[in-house]
Amino acid sequence: MSEESESSLLVIILDTNPGQRLVQEQAHVLTQCLESVIAFANSHLMLKAANKLAVLACHTKATEFLYPPPETGSQSMCRQHDGQYELFTHVEKTIRQSIQKFVVHHIERIKQEGENTGDTLLAGALAMSLCYIHRLERELTAGAKMNSRILIITGSGDSASQYMNYMNVFFTAQKQNITIDVCSLDQDLGLLQQGCDITGGLYLKIPQLQGLLQYLLWVFLPEPPIREKLVLPPPVKVDYRAACFCHRELIDIGYVCSVCLSIFCKFSPICTTCHTVFKTPGPLPIKPKKKKIKLT
Amino acid sequence: MAQSKNLKCKHLHDYLKTLPTSVLDRLYNHPTTCLAVYRELPEIARHYVIRILFVEQPVPQAVVASWVSQSYSKDHTTVVDVLSGLRVWQEAAIPGGLLGWILNSTFKKNLKIALLGSGKPWSMSSHLEVDSKPRDIPYLDTYALERWECVLHYMVGSQQQEGISADAVRILLHAGLMKRDEEDGSPVITREGFQFLLLDTSSQVWYFILQYLDTVETRGLDLVECLTFLFQLSFSTMGKDYSTEGMSEHLLVFLQHLREFGLVYQRKRKAGRFYPTRLALNIASGHNKSHMNMHREGYIVVETNYRVYAYTDSNLQVALMGLFCEMLYRFPNLSVGILTRDSVRQALRSGITAEQIVGFLHMHAHPRMVMAGPPTLPPTIIDQIKLWENERNRFVFSEGVLYSQFLSQADFEALHEFAQESGLLVWSNAQRRTMVVTRAGHDDVKRFWKRYSKGGN
Amino acid sequence: MADDEDGKEYRWETGYEKTWEAIKEDSEGLLEGPGLDMVQRARRRQRQKLSHTRLGMMRHLYLILDQSEAMTSQDLKPTRHLCTLKLLENFIEEFFDQNPISQLGIISTKNKRAEKIGELAGNPRKHLKVIRGLSTANCSGEPSLQNALDLAIRSLRLLPAHASREVLVLMASLTTCDPGDILVTIQELKTLGVRCSVLSLAAEVHVCRLLARETGGQFGVVLDDCHFRDLLLGHVDPPPAVTGLESSLIKMGFPHHQITEGKEAALSMCMCHVEVSDGEPGGGLKAGGYFCPQCSSKYCELPVECRACNLTLVSAPHLARSYHHLFPVDVYIERERSEFEDSISHCFACRRLYVDSDKHVYECNRCAQVFCLDCDIFIHETMHVCPGCATNQTTVNI
Repeated sequence: MSEESESSLLVIILDTNPGQRLVQEQAHVLTQCLESVIAFANSHLMLKAANKLAVLACHTKATEFLYPPPETGSQSMCRQHDGQYELFTHVEKTIRQSIQKFVVHHIERIKQEGENTGDTLLAGALAMSLCYIHRLERELTAGAKMNSRILIITGSGDSASQYMNYMNVFFTAQKQNITIDVCSLDQDLGLLQQGCDITGGLYLKIPQLQGLLQYLLWVFLPEPPIREKLVLPPPVKVDYRAACFCHRELIDIGYVCSVCLSIFCKFSPICTTCHTVFKTPGPLPIKPKKKKIKLT
Repeated sequence: MAQSKNLKCKHLHDYLKTLPTSVLDRLYNHPTTCLAVYRELPEIARHYVIRILFVEQPVPQAVVASWVSQSYSKDHTTVVDVLSGLRVWQEAAIPGGLLGWILNSTFKKNLKIALLGSGKPWSMSSHLEVDSKPRDIPYLDTYALERWECVLHYMVGSQQQEGISADAVRILLHAGLMKRDEEDGSPVITREGFQFLLLDTSSQVWYFILQYLDTVETRGLDLVECLTFLFQLSFSTMGKDYSTEGMSEHLLVFLQHLREFGLVYQRKRKAGRFYPTRLALNIASGHNKSHMNMHREGYIVVETNYRVYAYTDSNLQVALMGLFCEMLYRFPNLSVGILTRDSVRQALRSGITAEQIVGFLHMHAHPRMVMAGPPTLPPTIIDQIKLWENERNRFVFSEGVLYSQFLSQADFEALHEFAQESGLLVWSNAQRRTMVVTRAGHDDVKRFWKRYSKGGN
Repeated sequence: MADDEDGKEYRWETGYEKTWEAIKEDSEGLLEGPGLDMVQRARRRQRQKLSHTRLGMMRHLYLILDQSEAMTSQDLKPTRHLCTLKLLENFIEEFFDQNPISQLGIISTKNKRAEKIGELAGNPRKHLKVIRGLSTANCSGEPSLQNALDLAIRSLRLLPAHASREVLVLMASLTTCDPGDILVTIQELKTLGVRCSVLSLAAEVHVCRLLARETGGQFGVVLDDCHFRDLLLGHVDPPPAVTGLESSLIKMGFPHHQITEGKEAALSMCMCHVEVSDGEPGGGLKAGGYFCPQCSSKYCELPVECRACNLTLVSAPHLARSYHHLFPVDVYIERERSEFEDSISHCFACRRLYVDSDKHVYECNRCAQVFCLDCDIFIHETMHVCPGCATNQTTVNI
């Protein structure tokens, strides 16, 4: 009915990849980040009693839910030890404990399996959040409404290796009316920027890490319905440039396989993706035929 | 006329604004109140507050105004009014002669505490041994509902009633939901009472508590103390026990009252621990019916043939339906009624509005109806109920004075013209030479007539 | 599809479908009913059937819409005609959402004639406008299937060899009024490799069924509006490629959006608004736009075929939208939950605790994570990313 009766779900995805440039230079950055994220998460819960929260952490090898804690029969909530609202204390404690476990576990795995290589698997974390949101929406009582959004906080770069996963996830989010916001701590992220554009979310690369909490509160706290009322950074025009599958270079004109839609920068007789053999050079037979259309 | 008598459920803010500023300032000394007030602010205001929560200096007013896009500047003005009205922020001068806004320092300090920690724990969170027989959430829900329905039952006067305490009766009387019968002095329900019954549970509780708070000071309790405790309750966790240790005598009395209405559960009076129930949670947001509908499933199915099926075994709910339905059959878990012109008019006569009937049906609609919707209720039924209400408004009574038996058509026309020009005419009939003027205009018309007849003769 | 296998017998000649045998009792005597669960299982099975076939991705689809008197019948509410238009709007949006580089055209047939009311084009907005405009058109006379098909053939035959050609007929009439031998037309469609599907709003008609069977399409009769919608949306996914469909590399342009930097941007006319202005204010005069990398003509939206040099202009996400058809997530294996009793308590993706009613769980072959039924369906039908594989470095790129 009224706007007030809607609840709002915020899913925060936190990149804890130790390979991030920021973390490697100053290890305490992650702690500082965490403080801000917790305060931000609690601010979201403070906005409305019905607001919901989920926090995920992800790095190169795994993704884990930090909050809410796994549902078990007995919920043991701690007593208040200061003037903080009980729920907020609970959120803070749970996130701290689980991220500690998560990071320690990760270090052990690196020790076992050797080098920590590869990118943070953000697309996977996004996929998990979408499943989670999908479930919560299914579980809503009839007639209730929930606005869902995902906020990614990351200091790593995005890589084209997860391109397909990213795109599928973005389009799913768009279809399900889920906004994806991205807060980049370090570098410009072309791919995630596209995700923001597709889903109508906000993209912000913060100029300095000190003010992280203020940036979060200013830009990402307002939920999408209220955003149009506030003055926020305007959406950046995103370039959806194509990269060829063979050299991963940005191209203006390319060749597309009619069977699997792979993009190549040069003509080749065999598609490397689906191994189709092309009979004739593509563009030649088209042109005379097109001319025929004009004649008829 | 009917409008003015409608039951008004006050918003938390409207209530707080009625309090003297000194009380308000004392209230802001507690993180809970700040949290409660914050949550009830308009959405934009909540963002304003959080944006300047960590800013130490006053923020220029022009800057704040620029946070909202041009087309919504109206929202901005209302927000500014609300925030100033509640003394959440104040005007402050900035070097350079500009005016700025700065958050009320007590409010700011305590909201920060609520959000980030530090400060003293809330009064009810002292350490407790683990309860040997902890109560789970379903148990608390049934308990709370039982207690609350007891009050409602008493109001409807249905047979199931257990006695409720004299205190509760006094509050009902004070709130004007019931009044003493003129003959035997026993309390009977008023038209406000009927309207009250049709509200959703959380609004009922909030309304009731507001009325209770009005009487708090006459009982020698401290309003600030009670309110603070109430807000603490509203931010507590379901299914968790809290300690009564360190609570003052007054508060313990207050707690016993809350226990009677089912807002808290206590096994024994002196148990030293209590469980808040769903009625107490988020009590301050009671006016917006969204989330705390007691988690009870809707039970009413309305069909286009005016039949109303209620899947319930509760006498109270059947009695409530009986307010505006003609009940036909009663089965162990199902009652069937029919909406007729007579039954609805009966309800309208007792002071219930069509809006409230529709609201009630809507609120308790069976999940199947909700799923099939929107619209949840058949539109024909809604329209018909509203038409029945309009039917009662066919007559508009307006007092007036009748002028008749004019001697000539000219006399009539002169007077008619005068009355019409000065806007005093209510009704006239030229053929029968009669007219009605308003009561207030009677003197004027009379004077005119005297002058006219003198001049004429 | 009731009996797509096309047995020699009619449905009423086949044995009873013993639907009640599908209902089973579990150990506690509860019914494992043909409820939602079974429907979902069926969807799973259907998915299993069609994976890893070559698909025709660049679709050129003609919708043939019967607008004869039979469309005025009120068995679909409010009328067959209005119901169809309503569903078609949805279909067109969905079609372009899933097949962004495909093209669609609309042919209407009534009064024994056929008329092309929407040219083969890749812009959903124009088609939607046509469809909306039809709601006031009156339906009369008899349809002519042959005329309509001939009209479709005329433009489909000119398409390049790698394009997948399709016709979807929405037929309400039980008769057709044709000028010649329709079998010849069907034969021609067959040789051209045009896949014709027919949805009948009334009943099965031999010629329609024959048309669908000969050309490798599907035939269906709608039961009610919901069934109609399901059948229609079944045509949204790209069909398996017709055998003999040539494959080739197609040259495409990927223009980027340009807003002239610096001083005042010069207004210019875009090619899509040059001929017809849609009555919009400004009539297509805008500052920015997409410029064809080959000949620098300007367009205000993608995808589009350059009018000057015939280059297909797309943006990368348009292609990406179709990838999930080509690289579907592998079907999960259904496992008894008892196999995992203690080790796995909740679904990997959505964190839902398994309860007693979850008899089966679904395991991904590659990442060995276990999911609940709801997630399984969501992952395969909507998301097309396995959350398990995508969060595991070893399985993320294969």
